[in-house]
Amino acid sequence: MLASPIKPEPGRSGQPDRSTTGSDMRTTSRGLIAALALTPLLAGCFAPGDSDAGAASGGRLRVALAVPPVRALSPYSNDATVLSKLSVAEGLTALDKNGTAEPALAKSWKQDGATTWTFELRKAEFQDGTELTAQAVVDALDHAGTAKPKPRVLSDVSLTAKAEDADTVTLTTTSPDPVLPLRLASPALAILSAKAYAKDGAVSPVGAGTGPFEITRLNGKTKATLDRFDGYWGGKAKAPGIDVSWVADGTARANALRGGEADIAEWIPTAQAKLLDKKTRHEVPSVRTDSLILNTGSGLFTDAGLRAAAREAVDGSALVDSVFGGYADPAQGLFGPAVPWAADKRAEVTGRTKAATAAEVKTGTKGRTLRLATYTNRAELPEAAAVLQQQLERAGFTVKQDVREYTQMEGDLLAGKYDALVFSRVTLLDTGDAVDYLASDFTSEGVYNIAGLKNASVDKAIRAAAAERDTGSRQEKIMRAEAEILRTDAVVPLVHEQAVQGVAADVEGVILDPRERSLIDVDTHLK
Amino acid sequence: MSLAHAPAAARPSLWPAAAGRVLAGVALLGAVALLPWLSGADPARTVLRARSADQNPTPSELAAVRGQLGLDEGPLVHLAHWLGGLPGGDAGVSWVSGAPVMPQVGTALSVSLTLMLGAFGVTVLVAGLVCARTVFLGSRRRLRQDRAGTTAAVLASLPKFLLASVLATVCGVGWGWFPSSGWEGPQSMVLPSLALGIPSGAMLGGMLGQALPAAFHEPWARTAYAIGLPPGHIARDGLRRTLPGILPQLLPTVVALVGGAVSVEKIFNIPGLGRLALEAAVAQDLPVLQTATLALVLLGVAAGMLIRALRHALLGRPLRDGALPALHRPPLTVPRSLRWVTTACALLLLALVTAGLLRDPLQVDTAARLLSPSLEHPLGTDALGRDLLARLGHGALRTAGVALAVTAVSAAIGLLLGMTPRASAGPTEVASTLPAVLAGLLIAGVTGPSVWGAACAVCVVGWSPYAAQTAALLEQERASGHIAASVALGAGRLHLLRRHLLPAVVPALLRNALLRLPTTVLVLASLGFLGLGEQPPTPEWGRLLSENQPYAELAPWTVLGPAAALVVLSVLAVTGSVLGRRNGA
Repeated sequence: MLASPIKPEPGRSGQPDRSTTGSDMRTTSRGLIAALALTPLLAGCFAPGDSDAGAASGGRLRVALAVPPVRALSPYSNDATVLSKLSVAEGLTALDKNGTAEPALAKSWKQDGATTWTFELRKAEFQDGTELTAQAVVDALDHAGTAKPKPRVLSDVSLTAKAEDADTVTLTTTSPDPVLPLRLASPALAILSAKAYAKDGAVSPVGAGTGPFEITRLNGKTKATLDRFDGYWGGKAKAPGIDVSWVADGTARANALRGGEADIAEWIPTAQAKLLDKKTRHEVPSVRTDSLILNTGSGLFTDAGLRAAAREAVDGSALVDSVFGGYADPAQGLFGPAVPWAADKRAEVTGRTKAATAAEVKTGTKGRTLRLATYTNRAELPEAAAVLQQQLERAGFTVKQDVREYTQMEGDLLAGKYDALVFSRVTLLDTGDAVDYLASDFTSEGVYNIAGLKNASVDKAIRAAAAERDTGSRQEKIMRAEAEILRTDAVVPLVHEQAVQGVAADVEGVILDPRERSLIDVDTHLK
Repeated sequence: MSLAHAPAAARPSLWPAAAGRVLAGVALLGAVALLPWLSGADPARTVLRARSADQNPTPSELAAVRGQLGLDEGPLVHLAHWLGGLPGGDAGVSWVSGAPVMPQVGTALSVSLTLMLGAFGVTVLVAGLVCARTVFLGSRRRLRQDRAGTTAAVLASLPKFLLASVLATVCGVGWGWFPSSGWEGPQSMVLPSLALGIPSGAMLGGMLGQALPAAFHEPWARTAYAIGLPPGHIARDGLRRTLPGILPQLLPTVVALVGGAVSVEKIFNIPGLGRLALEAAVAQDLPVLQTATLALVLLGVAAGMLIRALRHALLGRPLRDGALPALHRPPLTVPRSLRWVTTACALLLLALVTAGLLRDPLQVDTAARLLSPSLEHPLGTDALGRDLLARLGHGALRTAGVALAVTAVSAAIGLLLGMTPRASAGPTEVASTLPAVLAGLLIAGVTGPSVWGAACAVCVVGWSPYAAQTAALLEQERASGHIAASVALGAGRLHLLRRHLLPAVVPALLRNALLRLPTTVLVLASLGFLGLGEQPPTPEWGRLLSENQPYAELAPWTVLGPAAALVVLSVLAVTGSVLGRRNGA
């Protein structure tokens, strides 16, 4: 037997061929391993969590929100709703349950002419100790008006604000704007103190709002700490503070609530809702309507008969108990139960095109496949598309799906490179008014007109609604426009979504808001 | 290709390796910098969407964003500006958030590195457990039977995101041992590290377990045993002999987790680099994406050089002096159970496919959703009431076919590139840490949605483990005495390649490829959201797992079926290859 002299391991002492290099290297590698093992301690890279601010820390609310901040909570971005959800900042007005404007920082207002309004401010204090003045309001609104890109709420109107005296502000619009008080309730028009607005256009609401809670720390996209603001004009909040964590994954949010790591978890996915304790599960009708958009501009569905056949074939109520697990309502139109006035004022859809029969569909499509698009950002949509595919195939269509991430396909959608789209849309946007949505999505010049709809009577009906000042008649005209749109079969409403909010059993006073703009206010607290 | 035995005294030039690294890094960063211009998706639109989802993309708003970002200046100006800031530690500001990029990427990188180190710990532990028996028996010279590596194959084929879901639900929510999400202290590390480390450890352990018997079969081990050295020393020396061949796999298996653990980061809500890079890529937020890519490139190169130094330290002088004996597997008997396991797996798959093909995989029945297994639906139904057996059966051929093809192509590319180790070291390190999603985005940018896009994207990054392995094994092989002897006897390059080099590399490569097969299936499916690969509702195993993942707790059978099928496929592949080797030998 021979010991190999070229054995890689030099072996232990006593062996003749020991190589010193080898053992030197060995110590080096040990040092390396030790260094590697120490790195986690050295890096100190865990999110500085408030481990002592947990459940035991005197009633602070722990909230798991779904959409991480994209622009450090700037009101001119997606993050705006966080400011209103957590009662950090307020606008001049607020929306009540029925979607009408109620006083907030303005205690009253009156319309002086077609384009001029006067707002009387209440006595309030910013979280940095400065007083709310008319000039502060003017500055805040000016910043919103000059923000780039412009906040959605100001996309079709130009505001000029002027301070009359210390607590009176006049607002002038370039064209008559009947919904101005509704507009001002938008979180994008929240009034922040002067220190919030940086020279380079960045806006930081940290410690600059007027609401009952003050952001004291924002930790990137993961966490924020809010403390009670004792100088709030509406009285002291019952909860001493809020610890926010952003959890983008729906399952993880549900887990955080179930594991007791969060007291409130918003937007529980329907697949997880059944796992929650019944007492912690709260469903809210949402202003989000899911519909099937048919491309009237090009392709298969330029044929009205085929569109009607698709409308007949598609049954959204089949989705309610399956894909949505019961957390949805069958579609009644474009506006669902979350829009309280819609049901009473709904106009009947008349004069619809007769649906093509399966045989007519077969000949009408001339062998072309129906390109059915949807996106993965909302988990329910791809499932809904699978159900719709089967329904459409029964009606004689040949269907091919195209499912991608939304930003990957938006260009194709607006360019009309598809025949049908399963689409989830918030029907009441910033203003709380529905005209904006109808105008952008269904008028000939609408910028978000994915259906490619160009229909004179639809345009006329939407214009009529936009011009109407009286709230009641405006709503009626909106519903008439809805009927006009539905008559074209450019859109087939499927379901009205319900949001499931997870609220631990010991939390009281959480606001279940269909518009997803409020969640916590002065009265929310742990029992 | 320099296949000939390098003279021991001549120091190899460092230039090709350095040039390869720089070129690979530059090529990748260049491709990333061109992404918005390649993809045809207007970055003004994607950035606007990311900032404000409800905003109407009016021409004036898009123009405002374009002006803000200076998009009209073109890619070169941007790249130059970004590069110009780097020496001063300034990587620009994010297009979406407007915040400086460096702190964001720095934090995310440190989080991901910490997580990776945790996963590395688990990997070492699991790999140790997987080959513990071989080490124990081998160091006592009682290794008679070949090991099929079934355990390794089973563990390696567990989908990480499924493991993560189960751990979060059971250990996080159910038992409350660890936080189910968040990143707030060492206790948050445990579950994600387990989810990432178990499959990785099994993979490395499986490869180590295959290499170990050859080491224990060498004459030194016999001698050491004969003179009564304790088994611990023989075990240590055996590991030292085999580890250098496995170490390069750490790069694509463990270090790659820094950028490639997106699904696990999502489930545990960890603010890591993978998620940051993916979000930036989707929003086409170039400064963030470029900086994250640069971090990954540097990490890959650094880790590659570290691993190389470790290997050389372990192998020591024999490697440099060309005095390393080739490792030869001893003739071990195949356990009889192996045949049974293989036959059982084959029959099971066959039955699954036949039974499945007789059923309709697309029939949606909303009344029959999430039914538990019954006579009518032997594997239950999914959330749309589709029969899971049918979907598994119909998906089997496509899934296995595409995954095998992708693996074969990747392995072939890896083998070819691995033969020029110095030049390919850089590209290998860069490709190892490049997340497949990023490759997918670049491919989707060029081709648009396509059936073959997913396969291409996986091939683009998938070759790196094989190249690393080939390079390492060839280096060792070239340092062996018998190659020098062959050259002295006048063997040509082709002869060396066919008779000596390939036979030394291919078995280990095959094992590696088969152990990676399930991962390939899952990675292919993970690119679906970019429109790459077969579109739904086409059944495919990876998609079955990802589309049923939300229902894992409510209806466990929806994921158990596909996961089990993947395990069976993997075990069949691995045991089949062991049997094949036996019969071929």
